[in-house]
Amino acid sequence: MKKKALGNIYTALIFIFLYMPIAVLILYSFNASNSTSTFDGFSLKWYKELFSDSATLNALKNTLLLAILSALISTIIGTMAAYGINKMKNKYVKGSTMSVTKIPMMNPEIVTGISMMLLFVFVGVMIGGKASLGFGTVLIAHITFNLPYVILSVLPKFKQMDKSLPEAALDLGCTPFQSFFKVELPQIMPGIISGLIMAFTLSLDDFVISYFTIGSGFETLPIRIYSMTKKRVTPDMYALSTLIFVSILVLLVVSNLVSDKNREKMSKKAKKITKYVVGGLFATIAIITLIVFIVSAGTKTVTLNVYNWGEYISDGSEDTYDSNSAFEEYYEKLHYEKYGEKIKVQVNYTTYASNEDLYAKLKSGASGYDVIIPSDYMIERLKADGLIQPLNLNNIPNYENIEEQFRNPFYDNDPDAKYSAMYTYGIIGIIYNKDKMDPADLEKIENGEAGWELLWDEKYAGQILQFNNARDAFGTAMYALGIDVNNATEAEWKLAFEKLKAQKPLVQSYVMDEIYNKMESGEATLAAYYAGDCLSMIANNESLGFFYPKNEEGKYVTNIFADAMCIPTGAQNKELAEAYIDFMLSEEYEAARANAEYIYYASPNKEVINNPDYIDYLEDDYDLIYDPDFGNIVIVEDENGNPVETTYIEYMFSKYAYRDMSDENRAILNSLWEELKVDSTSFGGGIYIICAVIIVGLVAFFVYKYIQIRQRRKLYWNNPVKPKQTFEFTSTMAKISVPKELRAKDDENQK
Amino acid sequence: MNEKKIIELKGVAKSFDGETILDNIDLDVHEKEFMTLLGPSGCGKTTTLRIIAGFVTPDSGEVMFDGVRINDLPPYKRSVNTVFQKYALFPHLNVYENIAFALRLKKVSEEEIYERVEEMLTMVNLKGFEKRDVNLLSGGQQQRVAIARALINKPRVLLLDEPLGALDLKLRKDMQNELKNIQRKTGITFIYVTHDQEEALSMSDTVVVMANGKIQQIGTPTDIYNEPENAFVADFIGESNIVDGVMLDDYKAKFSGHEFECLDKGFEKNEPVDVVIRPEDVDVVDVEKGMLCGVVDSVTFKGVHYEIIVTINNFKWMIQSTDYVAPSQKIGLYIEPDAIHIMKKSEYSNMFGDYSSFSDELEKLSDVTEEEE
Repeated sequence: MKKKALGNIYTALIFIFLYMPIAVLILYSFNASNSTSTFDGFSLKWYKELFSDSATLNALKNTLLLAILSALISTIIGTMAAYGINKMKNKYVKGSTMSVTKIPMMNPEIVTGISMMLLFVFVGVMIGGKASLGFGTVLIAHITFNLPYVILSVLPKFKQMDKSLPEAALDLGCTPFQSFFKVELPQIMPGIISGLIMAFTLSLDDFVISYFTIGSGFETLPIRIYSMTKKRVTPDMYALSTLIFVSILVLLVVSNLVSDKNREKMSKKAKKITKYVVGGLFATIAIITLIVFIVSAGTKTVTLNVYNWGEYISDGSEDTYDSNSAFEEYYEKLHYEKYGEKIKVQVNYTTYASNEDLYAKLKSGASGYDVIIPSDYMIERLKADGLIQPLNLNNIPNYENIEEQFRNPFYDNDPDAKYSAMYTYGIIGIIYNKDKMDPADLEKIENGEAGWELLWDEKYAGQILQFNNARDAFGTAMYALGIDVNNATEAEWKLAFEKLKAQKPLVQSYVMDEIYNKMESGEATLAAYYAGDCLSMIANNESLGFFYPKNEEGKYVTNIFADAMCIPTGAQNKELAEAYIDFMLSEEYEAARANAEYIYYASPNKEVINNPDYIDYLEDDYDLIYDPDFGNIVIVEDENGNPVETTYIEYMFSKYAYRDMSDENRAILNSLWEELKVDSTSFGGGIYIICAVIIVGLVAFFVYKYIQIRQRRKLYWNNPVKPKQTFEFTSTMAKISVPKELRAKDDENQK
Repeated sequence: MNEKKIIELKGVAKSFDGETILDNIDLDVHEKEFMTLLGPSGCGKTTTLRIIAGFVTPDSGEVMFDGVRINDLPPYKRSVNTVFQKYALFPHLNVYENIAFALRLKKVSEEEIYERVEEMLTMVNLKGFEKRDVNLLSGGQQQRVAIARALINKPRVLLLDEPLGALDLKLRKDMQNELKNIQRKTGITFIYVTHDQEEALSMSDTVVVMANGKIQQIGTPTDIYNEPENAFVADFIGESNIVDGVMLDDYKAKFSGHEFECLDKGFEKNEPVDVVIRPEDVDVVDVEKGMLCGVVDSVTFKGVHYEIIVTINNFKWMIQSTDYVAPSQKIGLYIEPDAIHIMKKSEYSNMFGDYSSFSDELEKLSDVTEEEE
């Protein structure tokens, strides 16, 4: 009884740990608001949202297409391979073939992904293609990693099959070909189906390999979701994840139903139903694929490949302005007016999660992007590496809309060759919970006297959040200490490190996206974060407030960053790309304002900033985003030492924006960051000792077992082999006797 | 028996991985014959069958069908069909479809298929089983389906590879009769492989005894039993006491220290020979009347008779008698001249025929190993 109860508890616990997260996900997919901390009532809003989000649906379509094609092809190839492996006579050849087959399974995905990317780029360069990565390459990659799974699920079926079945087929008149299709195939079918389903699921959720082998203009769902992290994962993704989970569940149930073990138990009726369900499922998938093919093959299109941060454009979700389709329409019309020719423009909008990802993509030489939107320091690096090209401003008349002060940022300050057009900029500020703050501190904030030191205030121990990102975390310490973030000496880096170390006992946790939950739910009180995101949080929780930290002199000292539109050197259609940039800056087509409203970061576009609708839209946030003090004129020295007038925000760009780091500084930063993070884990070095003890224990156990077996064998191991007996059957057969009379008769006959 | 040869094997040899499986086999199969290949496991009988079916290509020698060489003809072009050891029914097809399989390949009309399948089902007593799942049939029923499936093609020759091996004793007897009947009715040549000599003797027209990849003897069941050619055959078929002897003259042999009259002749004078005496041919008599005498070792009751082990000159004889004798009793043995069969010495001499190590327990043990193969 007791045992049973314990067993039940164990099962329940396992189920809770496995399925609680999914249950929460499903619950929140029906949440009426986009909060991740509170449930504000049941709603199907996010499902509606999901189905009106064309980029996500496009990614879903791509993912399904990829999964279906790669699953089908790998199943066919894998089945043939399994057939061949099964027929192999030489044990060693068979063994090594199997090992080679298993390598892609054991290999870390990242190795497979990178090696395939290198191969594709290499081959692409050899045959002279420019953008060698694309749907084809990611398809090949998926087929490759699916293959071993298919082989491993089909091969056992071949082995289980009665060896004489194909012989019986040949004997009854089948050619070997007919024998395979009429007799062997039906026997291995369950293996093929489970291999197919497995390949389909694996391909569906693969991220790492797709990420490296995918080309411009093609995005799968996992990649899209991953790259949403710049802002936040929107709840329509919960809806999508819920749908995917349910589909996978159905697939699993189906694959369980078709497995032979269950088939034997099933009644005939159940078998029939299963047949229809499975058949229906595959038919549906086939029809969807067909439709997708027909739809995508129907029209001839001009494509523009845009590569941007996730959630960084107004994309038509929640009834917002759909920038990309507006551009398509705009350009089709423009082209028709200009050339009298009807074309279809297709913006392939794909996303990345970090500047470094983007850099790696461009550097691999495998891109084919027309427009990218990197951040300031990355533009500096891309420019130095020759990976982006100057813009032809004649094709971008709306460049004039960018405020004067943002036209010559530090990363692009050559007036003769412009490489970028600023898209948005953002500033790091401090978000706080009014209800939990000391009134004295609140007053300080009100009076604009508060600075970075608040994050080191012991009053708020355990309620402070810090960036889980080396550069920004060190930035907070350096701004607090008054160290120049771009020209710090090693000693200054150490100082900043000590400062962060001192802050550590006060820090609740190091976070990025999790800040939304922690701040909105009131779990944490203070944190530094990007202004746009802070304002989003405030929109969800009235008691939150926000300010830009100042130094003792009452000057804003904080990080500022800009993201700007650039055209990579390998762009396929520069004119179209420039038209896109121009469109994004335009007032006439609302793109600039819609994006500023959607992204909620500051816009450098004067037509936007001064637009009354925009000012209305932002309400109180307007003064937070565009703090009037930013426009103050300050006097700085230019390179010749002469005093020059400039706005404060321009000064901030030159002083506080992160520059591209030297390799040495990056090394220092990384090692200090690791040091800080490593002893943040409470178990410290203990975990290594525990691991070591376990490993040593295991090794000792196996050595002991080995010795024990050797000891036991000693007695008989070297006994001489007994010579093989020629006949062992003298007494094995049932012996018979023929009645004497019968034999006598027979003898007579012979005579 | 029909004298027309349908299959001829001429000097056929086959080896796998350097191990000789078949060593120069010559074999003629006649039309309408029921031929059995009999031998212990590993003797090459199944390989012979597979060579005829076309699954194995011989290393050397010729396989002739109707006088035409068919060494390189693939199995699906031979008018030979096989009943496999484990039936090899197609699990995804029901009884009807299994039997109809061969006809479907030939694109025969559905009506004709129906007629012929029904005919086959009637023949194997499985009418009404059309819709059944073959996986749910009993062993005997599966066997019948396999036979029907193989026969529907109207093959010239049917090959049967230990088809009754997996059935229990009672069912096996029934199936033996049925197979024999089917063979008589259809007039198809059967080549039957078995290691069960009872099956071989009771069903066949011709028995081919094989061992070590060689044919030991070809003959009718009675020939094989009464006139074994060497010690192997004598021992393999039925029970035998095989003793060393010397042929003193025609019709006169000496063994176990006694001279016997016999019916054999044609040996050289004083030629050493193997003498076979079947246990049931020895009469137990009083010591004075016996040609030989010995001490009873053990007596086992076998139902029809007692099995008595007697030691004579350190050689243990087996005698089957309906009269009880007590162990340790001294008895005399009487052997009629026609009970003595003289064989030339062969490579198998002195390997068999002594019952000193014989026991029922051993028999059971080795049966198990046999089945595992």
